[in-house]
Amino acid sequence: MDQIQPKNYLIESILVTMCCCQPLGIVGIVFASQVNSKYAVGDYAGAIQASKEAKKWVTWGFVSGLIIIAGTLVIYGAIFLATLNDVF
Amino acid sequence: MNVKYITFFLLGIALILVYVFVNPNEVDFLPKCPFYFFTGLYCPGCGSQRATHQLLNFNILGVLQQNLMYVVGLFIIGYHLIIKGINTFFNKNVYNFIYHPKTPFLLLLFIIVFWILRNIPLYPFNLLAPK
Repeated sequence: MDQIQPKNYLIESILVTMCCCQPLGIVGIVFASQVNSKYAVGDYAGAIQASKEAKKWVTWGFVSGLIIIAGTLVIYGAIFLATLNDVF
Repeated sequence: MNVKYITFFLLGIALILVYVFVNPNEVDFLPKCPFYFFTGLYCPGCGSQRATHQLLNFNILGVLQQNLMYVVGLFIIGYHLIIKGINTFFNKNVYNFIYHPKTPFLLLLFIIVFWILRNIPLYPFNLLAPK
């Protein structure tokens, strides 16, 4: 084990899964699992590749989660304004 | 750089204050889970906002009631931060189980089983669903 294990993004994947962008977070966990198992059998190149994949999915999960949350807030804001118009 | 940190800090404080005083069960303006919205099924993360509210009000039983995975997730993140802190500040090399080959696989298994079980609307399983 002379090479450093690549970052496996497990913590980030858990955070993305918990904060409701679940499919992408779970894909992140799958790749995190590959990072660890490939590194354990000495496949450094494969581990680095899996790490890159994990980073990609976690990033997309985070970004899409932010977009969905912003979108919901915009929709609720619009509904709120519409109700205000009805009341007054 | 400094402005960025101050903005994140203030944003964090504001979020914590929102989740301390607002019970997500009683208001409509907090974002709903998109998976639940489109399918009517609970995802593994459903109940996290309610669990945050219960946690910030120190109601541990309430957290368990809303989302079991939230507790597991917090435990893993806390464990990781503690090990990382020990290794960084005391210059030690304590083994972190996050990098064990079996850990992510077990977690994945747990999440998928939890996801299926919490959607079964029968007595022992519906305890896992958020309320």
